[in-house]
Parts: sequence; C-alpha cells; structure tokens
Amino acid sequence: MTSPAGISWQSLDPGLERARTVTRRHFFSSGGLGLGAIALESLSARDGCAAGEPPAASNPLAVKRPMMPPRATRVIYIHLAGSPSQIDLFEHKPELARMSGQDCPDSFLQGKRFAFIKGVPKMLGAQFRFERRGESGQWVSELMPHVAEVIDKACVIRSMQSDQFNHAPAQLFVHTGAPRLGGASIGSWVTYGLGSDNENLPGFVVLLSGGKTPDAGASLWGAGFLPSVYQGVQCRTTGDPVLYLGDPPGIDRGMRRRMLDALAEMNAAEHAASGDAETLTRIAQYELAYRMQMAVPEVMDLSREPRHVLELYGARPGAVAAADTATTVDVRTLYRGDDPTFANNCLLARRLVEHGVRFVQLYDWGWDHHGSSPGESIDETLPIKCRQTDRAVAALLVDLDQRGLLDETLVVWGGEFGRTPMMQNNVRTELKPGFIGRDHHPHAFTMWLAGGGIRSGLAWGATDEFGYYPVENPVSIRELQATILHLLGLDPMRFSFSSQGLDQRLVGPTNEGRPVAGIMA
Amino acid sequence: MTRRLPTFVVPLLLVVTAPVGADEVRYGRDVLPILSTRCFPCHGRDEAARHAGLRLDLESEAKADRATGRVIESGSPAASGLIERVTSRDPDVVMPPGDSHEPLTAAEVETLRRWIAEGAAWGRHWAFEPVVRPEPPDSTGRGPAGSPIDAFVTARLIGSGLEIRPPASAHTLARRLALDLVGLPPDPAVADAFAANPSVAAYERLVDRLLAAPQFGEHWARLWLDLARYADTKGYEKDLGRTMWPYRDWVVESLNADMPLDQFTAEQLAGDLMPAADADTTRKRQIATAFHRTTMSNDEGGTDDEEFRVAAVKDRVDTTVQVWMGLTMGCAKCHTHKYDPISLHDYYAFYAVFNQTEDADRGDDAPRLEMVSSDERVERDRLEAIADHARRAFDAHKTPDTPEWLAAMGRADAAKRALGEFEQSLTLLPVMRELPEGRRRVTRIHQRGNFLDPGAEVPAAVLPAFGGAVGKAPPDRLDVARWLVSPDNPLTPRVWANRVWARLFGIGIVETEEDFGALGAAPSHPELLDWLAAEYRDGGWSLKKLVKTIVMSDTYRQRSDVTPELAAVDPRNRMLARGGRFRLSAETIRDQALAVSGLLSPKMGGPPVMPPQPAGLWRSTYNTKSWIDAEGENRFRRGLYTFLKRTTPYPSFTTFDAGSGEICQIRRIRTNTPLQALVTLNDPVFLEAAAALAGRMVTAADGGSLTDPTAIAARGLRLALGRPPRVGEPAPLVRLMADARSRFEADPSAAETLVRASRARLPPGETPSAGAARIVAASAILNLDEFLTRN
Repeated sequence: MTSPAGISWQSLDPGLERARTVTRRHFFSSGGLGLGAIALESLSARDGCAAGEPPAASNPLAVKRPMMPPRATRVIYIHLAGSPSQIDLFEHKPELARMSGQDCPDSFLQGKRFAFIKGVPKMLGAQFRFERRGESGQWVSELMPHVAEVIDKACVIRSMQSDQFNHAPAQLFVHTGAPRLGGASIGSWVTYGLGSDNENLPGFVVLLSGGKTPDAGASLWGAGFLPSVYQGVQCRTTGDPVLYLGDPPGIDRGMRRRMLDALAEMNAAEHAASGDAETLTRIAQYELAYRMQMAVPEVMDLSREPRHVLELYGARPGAVAAADTATTVDVRTLYRGDDPTFANNCLLARRLVEHGVRFVQLYDWGWDHHGSSPGESIDETLPIKCRQTDRAVAALLVDLDQRGLLDETLVVWGGEFGRTPMMQNNVRTELKPGFIGRDHHPHAFTMWLAGGGIRSGLAWGATDEFGYYPVENPVSIRELQATILHLLGLDPMRFSFSSQGLDQRLVGPTNEGRPVAGIMA
Repeated sequence: MTRRLPTFVVPLLLVVTAPVGADEVRYGRDVLPILSTRCFPCHGRDEAARHAGLRLDLESEAKADRATGRVIESGSPAASGLIERVTSRDPDVVMPPGDSHEPLTAAEVETLRRWIAEGAAWGRHWAFEPVVRPEPPDSTGRGPAGSPIDAFVTARLIGSGLEIRPPASAHTLARRLALDLVGLPPDPAVADAFAANPSVAAYERLVDRLLAAPQFGEHWARLWLDLARYADTKGYEKDLGRTMWPYRDWVVESLNADMPLDQFTAEQLAGDLMPAADADTTRKRQIATAFHRTTMSNDEGGTDDEEFRVAAVKDRVDTTVQVWMGLTMGCAKCHTHKYDPISLHDYYAFYAVFNQTEDADRGDDAPRLEMVSSDERVERDRLEAIADHARRAFDAHKTPDTPEWLAAMGRADAAKRALGEFEQSLTLLPVMRELPEGRRRVTRIHQRGNFLDPGAEVPAAVLPAFGGAVGKAPPDRLDVARWLVSPDNPLTPRVWANRVWARLFGIGIVETEEDFGALGAAPSHPELLDWLAAEYRDGGWSLKKLVKTIVMSDTYRQRSDVTPELAAVDPRNRMLARGGRFRLSAETIRDQALAVSGLLSPKMGGPPVMPPQPAGLWRSTYNTKSWIDAEGENRFRRGLYTFLKRTTPYPSFTTFDAGSGEICQIRRIRTNTPLQALVTLNDPVFLEAAAALAGRMVTAADGGSLTDPTAIAARGLRLALGRPPRVGEPAPLVRLMADARSRFEADPSAAETLVRASRARLPPGETPSAGAARIVAASAILNLDEFLTRN
C-alpha cells in the first residue's frame, strides 16, 4: 500500500491501522481493500444514498474478492457430532480383526489419556463387512452402500489427527481452530472473507438433526471475535425457519409493507436531521429483513422439490422426527432408520448453496458410540445412523454434480475425532449385543472431501495395521482448515483479524497448518 | 544478520518518499508500533523465536557495534543497517523476509529514517509510562462549564476548522443522560422540567439524581458482568445451571454504593483473604470472590478435571490482566509475548498466584458459600426440629416391627427427606478459597502451554515490567489486587478511564479498549486520557465522580448530528467536535421498550428470569432443564436479569451484539443487521411492548383521553422519544393508522388475532380494528432509528 497524500495519517499511525477496530470500514480490511473502502465509505457518507439502497461500503456481507483465484466458492460441511467409527466405516484392517478380543499391546497405551478406557482394553475388529468400491477401489463398509456408489467423487483422508479427546473441545477445535470457547467459526471466517452472494439470505446457515444440539452448542457457529454479523444463522425446519422471521399473528405482508414504508419515511426524515450514515444503513437493513422474510421460507420449503429429487435424498417435507420433538427421554432410544431430518437438511443444503449461501453447516447428533448405555452402540446404533444419512449424503453429491454445482461446492464429511480400535471397557469387558462400543480416538480417523478443487477418487494417507496411528501423510485439523481456506481463495497464513492483541487466524498462531497439496486437483 | 552491510547504498525508495509532516518523530508513538509489528516477532523478547541473535527491543542491543556494523547508528540513517535491510530490493537481504511478510511501506521507512536522523531517541510504549497528571492547555476556547476536558479537546481542534459544538436540546440531553447513566429513558416529567429551565445547575441536579438512582448500578453492572464473563450456567458440553446471581447483585450494590475501585478490586480478587470484623462484611467479601468462579467448568464424561482446572486458572490470569491493565496475556501461555514485556516465565509466575485455590473443576463447583436468608434459616430450623423430634420419637420405640414402630420410622424418614430437599433448594454460590499450608501447589512452566509438559518451577510474582511488587513476597491474590491499583501501575487508571469514556461516547480515547499494548490503537487525546486517569486514581477511584466529571463537560453535552463538514473532516468523531451518537445496547433496547410502554418491572435482584423466547432453542445435549416463558412480573424484568445460558444465550440479545459470558468481553462490537430488524418487529416481547404503548397513546400527559389521530400519534412519539414531536412529524403515523385501520376493517379477524397475540387491552368500546391499527403504529415507533439510537 503506497500512500496517496490524502491518507498519510493512516501510515503515520500504524497502531491505529492495525487496531482494525471493527467499525464498519474494517469489514473491508482483508485482501488489501482497506483504504479503498475507507474512501468509498466517506464518499457515501457525504453524498448520501437513496433510501432502500444500502450504502455500498456499509454492507458487511457484500461480496468480496478472494485473495487468490478460488477453486471453490461455497462449502457444505457435514459434521457427525459424537464422531463415527472409522474402523467400522472406512478402515479395512484384517490384522485388527485377527487380533479382535486380545489384549491391546502395551505400546498403544503408554502415556495415553482416554476418556473412559481403563486398564488394558481388548482389541476390537470391524463389526461389518468391507468391500473395495468404485474405480478407485476404496474400502467402504456395508453400512454405507450409497456413499460407496459415489466414492469416486470423494477424496478420503484416512490419516486425520486431532489433539483433543473430549467432544466439546474437539468440536470447537475443528470448527473454530481453538479448543476453547470464544473463537470464530470457520463459516464465520469464510463469510467474513468472501461475503455472501445472495443478499436476501444469511451468508452462513446452520442446520441441525439428530434431536440435539452438538456438544459445544451454538459456539460452534459463533462469530467469536469477528463482528456478530458473521455468525451462523440456524435455520430450523419447525417453527420460524429463522428466529423472529414470521410477522406477528394478524400482520400480513401488505400491512408489513405499509408499516415499513411509514417507518422508512420517518427514518429518512431523521437522517435528514441527523446526517448519520448509520441511519441509512438501518433503513436498508429493514428492507433486507423484509426480503428475507420472503426468501428464507421459499428456499426452506422442500415441497417445491419434485418427487424424484425427494426420493433421491429420502427427504420428506414437513416430517418431524421423534428425536426432534422429544424433551424428556434420551433421544438416542428414539433413533429410527427412516428419520428424514438429516435427508431434509441435505436437500436444504443444496437449495441454499444454489441460492448463493456461502457456507452451509450441517450437524447431525448421535454418533458417540461408546457401548456403555442403550442406544449408543457400534453394533446397533451405528447402522441406524448410517441408514439415516448414507443415502442423503450420496444424493447430495449426485444432485450437486447433475446441476453443475459440485465443481464449485466443497463438501466436507467427518466427526471431531475417531474411535478406538479397542473396545471400551469401563462398563463391560465382554462383547454383548447392543453394548459393543469404542472410546474417543484423536490419533487417527477418517474424513472425506468432495467437489470444488478436490482430487476425486483418491485415498489420502494410511494408518498402521490396527488403524491406531497414521503411517503415511498424516493430516492435522489445522491442515484441513488451511486446505478449505486455500480452496476458497483465502491464504490461511495471511487471512487474519486483529483481536486481543493477536492477529487471529483460523489456523492458529503457528505455521504448521499448511494446505495439503496432495489432495487438491 | 549475517551478511556484511554495505553502508553507502542510498535505497531508491527514499528518493521518492514524500516527507511526513514537520512534527518530530516520537519513539513511543511513531517508531515502536513499526518495530513491534514488523521486527519484534523475530528480533524481540521471545528467545525461542529470535533470529541472528539480534534484539531490537533493547536500545543497548539495537545500537551495539556488531561484527557487521551497527543496526542503528544514531543520527545516521545511511550508516544504519536497519534502513539498508528494510529498503533492500535483494530478496535475500530485505527485511522482513519477503516470502511471508509484507515489505515496509514507504511511510514506515521514512518514519524510521527520520527518527534515526533525529538521533534515534529511545523510549517506552506510551501506555507503560507512569501516569502524570498533565496541566490542561490554556483555557482559550474552554466552554462555560469550564471543564479541563474541553480545554484538551479544544487544543486538538485548533487548526482543524472545527470547534466544540453547542449543547444538544434539553430533551435530547435528558434522554442521553438517562440512557447513559441508568440505561433507561428519562421520566417525561423530569425531562420537561429540565427543558423548562435548562441551566447548568439544573443539568447538574439531573446528573446527581441519576447517579443516586439504584438503576445506575443495574446499568453499569452490565459492563462489569461482560468483563467478569458472568453467566448462569457452567459452559462446555453439559452447560448445566450454576447459581451466580448473588454475585451479580453484589456488583449492582457495590456500584450503587460507589465502592472505590481499589476496594472493588481487592474484594473480588481476594475477598476471602480480607478478614472483616463483622460476619456480614466477611460474607459479602466472599460473595465478591465469585468474580473468578465464573470461569467455565467441564462436566463432560471422561474429562480430566485437572485439565479444566488449569484452563480456569489461566482464564483468571488472562481476564485479570485484560480487565485491569488492558493487556493480552494469551500468547504468553505458550511463548514469551512478542510485542509486550511479558515473558513465559512472567506468565507462570503470575499464574502461580492464582494457582492456590481449592476449586478443581469439581461437579458440584466446590467450594461454595451457603447463602441462607433469615426466612430460610427459620424454615431450616423448623424442619431440623421436626426431623429431630421424629427421630427421637422413633428411637423411643423399643420393640421393632410393630405397626407403631413402622409408622414412627416412616415419619422420621419423611421428615429427614423434607429437610434434605429443602437444603438442596438453598442458594450455594461458588467462591474462591485459598489452599491451606500443606496443600499448596507447586507451579511449573507449562512448556508450549501444555500442562502435561511441566518445566522449571516458578515462584509467584507480579508482572515485573509494570511497577514493583506490593506487599509480601511471594505475593498472594490480595497483593496482586493492591499492585493492580497501586499508584505506580501505569495501566489500570488509563484502562478504566478509557472504558468509562467509551460508554459515554461510543468509542474510547483508545479505540482498542482491550489492548493498551504495543499493538493497540494510539489514543486520540493522550493528554486527556492521562488527565482523566489521574483524576480517577487521585480522586479516590470513584466511578460516579469520574462519570460526573465527563458528563458535565461541554464535550459530552454537544449536539450529535453530523454536518457535511464533520462527515468530511472527521467521519468517526475521533476529534470530538460533536456528541456521541450510537445504537443502544441489547439490554437497553429491551428495557427502553418496556419502560416507554409502561411494562417494565422495577424489581431488583434475585434469581435470573426467563422472558419469552422462541420454543425449542434449549435442545442442548444434556441439560434437560427447560426454558419456561415467565408470566407476570418476571416477563418484564430488566435485561440484566435474563437467564444467560452460555451455549444458548438469549437470542434477541445475541442479535444485538451481547456476548455469551464464555470469555471476558471487553467491549461489544456494534453491528447493524437485518436480523435486528426482525427482533424489534416480530419478537413477542416487542410486540407486547407495542400493544402496551398503543394503550398509553390514547391518554394525554394530564390523564385526559385523546381522540384526535394526530394527538395520539404525537403522544406515542413523545412517550418513546422523550421529546416533543416536530411539526409534521406525526403525519406518517397518522396515515399509517388510517390505512391499517381500513385494512383491519376489511379483515376484522386479523385485528382480533393481533390484539390477542400482543396481549393488548383495548379501551372500553374500541373496535379491535382501531386498536390493532394503533398497535401497528406503536410498533413502528419502537422501530424508529432515533428510538434505537442514543443521540
């Protein structure tokens, strides 16, 4: 940034510049747009704007140029909260199967912390059959027949690693880059960096299924230290799709329009008296709210989809799962294979990205299969969760592809860590149907990515014969985050926001989180 | 730097650089920010990150004669390796190294060059220099109130073509003061009386009255509770409920009593270490220590309690330094601070002070203070007596298994159970308690921040770069509290004065309230800040006095509208040639709507309440406690009392930028979004307020009934905005009411639906269509930009 005379104060005062104090102009400070945006803002503040038009520099969700040419422009991130067993879904380990039931070798236990495993646990082989699938010949278990059909579209990372072994911190680490509360979620980062293509919809939408909010709660889609305008907006399939979206009973659209017209007239008079540009922004935001009130229910209305698409996903408009309405019992006991909530959310995700939403985050609860209490076992519950999700996930890839959206849409699938190749032994030490479980395993697990900029039909990384440690190309959470940002055209090392005295980055303060070149097309 | 430095090169850049003004270059203001961000990461305090053995943060090292020449040769930019390296076009030579860093801008280079040419005088970061009360500039331009604040502000305005503007209108001032001081709109009668006689004396009486109101404590407590990361739950996965409200009430009471900051500090950080003569004071001081028990605890199955105990202690360290000193300690957990003088060792020495309390991420939050009211004590005594009596009656039966024996046993059991259940319902507040001798912890450095990787043992100490220790060595929490507010601490008074200023102007003198370190923003009025800091510190640390000093100034009282000239010269009001103008906070927007509609409950204190929120939000993993919309008074309490669940905070507050209580929140960043419009248009809370306001609009100030639509609309504006409407101002509302009424008359069921949903009470004889039309108009009023703004 060279310094034209008019802004030399800025250069004289680098502390102020770095403060990035997050008033409106700072929304534009990424990607070298800062000074231009300041000039633009002062212009618009001076000249005024027509009512109903947001002053250009004041819309923090305006589309922003990425820092480098992007490979993907949108993200659908599917998180299986609780963490599915990679051993039973993607990791074909005959040696582990042979060892099943024997004591875990001491070398795996030395210096390790587990959430629940005590003493020396028994090894536990996969409970399901595996086959090589697709042209790429990837190993996929029988629990996911539909995903197996489309596995050539994905890059399966078999060597993911985390350093968190409890749910809430591990989920926060994946989604905010820090295992504590208070960080900005990846969807917020991306919306902050790129803005949103549809100004009538939120830029970052969150959809939940499985009957519960994930362990770390709404902090997973919080904006943290970023301005709150970038936080994820939870869209719901029952009640108002966005909180307070519906007009009060008795107020119809015509009445609302009439009321907003009167409000705009009075606010315009206030602007004439006060000269405050913020008033113009407020007028514009009320208009945007009015448009959102129509756009959001439309995009959330699955009944607009043709029957063959609903069938492709297994979606059922208006269906409410038993787990979603239960309040008193443990929802896990209510899981059924035909629960369409997750399928509905997958189809909604496609509709949302199709309408220009930047980041769609799905959370499905119910993947924490310890085997210590009813409804959370590898042998009984995992197959149910797979039936709820397998077809819809595969349908999402097929549907996006057919619509030409997959090239620019990055799809991510995974949990917050993996599950142990040993049986969890704190409640039962013998195998009992309905109580076969695995503990948390951060050292190696499986995730897959597909779509925008990803090398399809690839298995990346590998683990040892027990699936305990990566032996080839380990990928850290930070590297995964860096890869996602990189694909979106955001340089993970330079994409930062100044807060609490640090240039905060999604990938953290160190430089270990580099994009994984090998998985990008 | 390993290469030999050629000393004759005149870099091309310098030739084309424009000179940067005539002002002398100052180290703390101009040079340090460049060195901090561009050089210190590799040439600063952090030994582990240091390259080429070179430190630029120490004058002696930076000016030392090295084998390769001098990095800084005072008086001679040409002979200074620093200038050569930052201007080199050779990618192997240029600093910062080109692969991952931006080169210095021409202006930055010019600043360094001029600084060296002028003698390279060294100094400290401005905020670390002692606070010395500056003399206010010559009184030229000082306003009639004669505040030194105005002298400082005027001095900065000289030459800008701007000057301090006239005061805002009396009604605007009355509303501004009330919203700033008590977070509520003014009583209309009080505002009118002031408008009738807007003298400085009358203004001062208004100020004094608001400072003495109990709502002052409620309003300013919100600021403090953001800092204290106050919440009604424990956080993390289960996020179970936790009784913290007695601490919230302690904050409100202390602010109302204008407890001096030194005492406010000591009691919260170390009230348990301050024995008092009477039991009541002792108890209150214990309550105060809940400040640091608001840290989160993790009840998730399979977690390591020590891991989360350590996380809580680190949170206490970080929060303490953030709140009092405006410094960020976070990075020093893992490595020596790259910008500010806090080493890894310093961090853990300070941590050692806080590492000696009994709490340990236990499921029951122990240790806890039993908060028993006199009523509860009576009830417990009664139940104890019953249980005791039943027990003795049972013991009196000598023959087991008889019907009498069985009946007595049943009575004894029931009485015991009743006592147990009652004791469960008592209020138990998590508090701090120091570990006794023999159970003291040894603190070691956590290498790379990992508590499982302990390094050298560190004795407890205060941060050495900011004033000497106070009290004994090693210090305890009480010594730390005293050190924070000791006259030698340069940061505490500046940080606090700035924080209070920011609440009254919308933006701090130092904009980065959270960071007074080398990376923070420079103050817009450094001398004004120091004057306020000295006033506050030397005047007995009185918050009310400080607030009064500020609001009595002409600077504060200026009108806040933005002329085209102001928008051009000073768009962000950094020069203070107008009054502050900003959107109200989440809680104030709610409280104000309830107040102007007459719904607001004046009840203070007690357990948190659950006003209406959309159904189905509390679906978190474990907490089966549900949100039940309050009826009656608790539906309309101030926002301060709304239950705050960390993982699912009250949604309309979040939309207006309130935090979740998860971490210390130094300031709320204001946004302006469509979701906010949806809240004030559609949230049932605001709908009920609109209906209640509609009910008040038909009654004149003198109690008479209003029938004329213009008078009704004017009355609504008057009630909400606290000022008489301008000529023609009610007209759009009158038209809206007429339109709405004819629409409702065409669809009377819609009118009935709205009246019912908004819980409106229509005047006798009024049709639902007329009543509903007025609700629509009232809702428009509650959405006016002016209503949402403090101007």
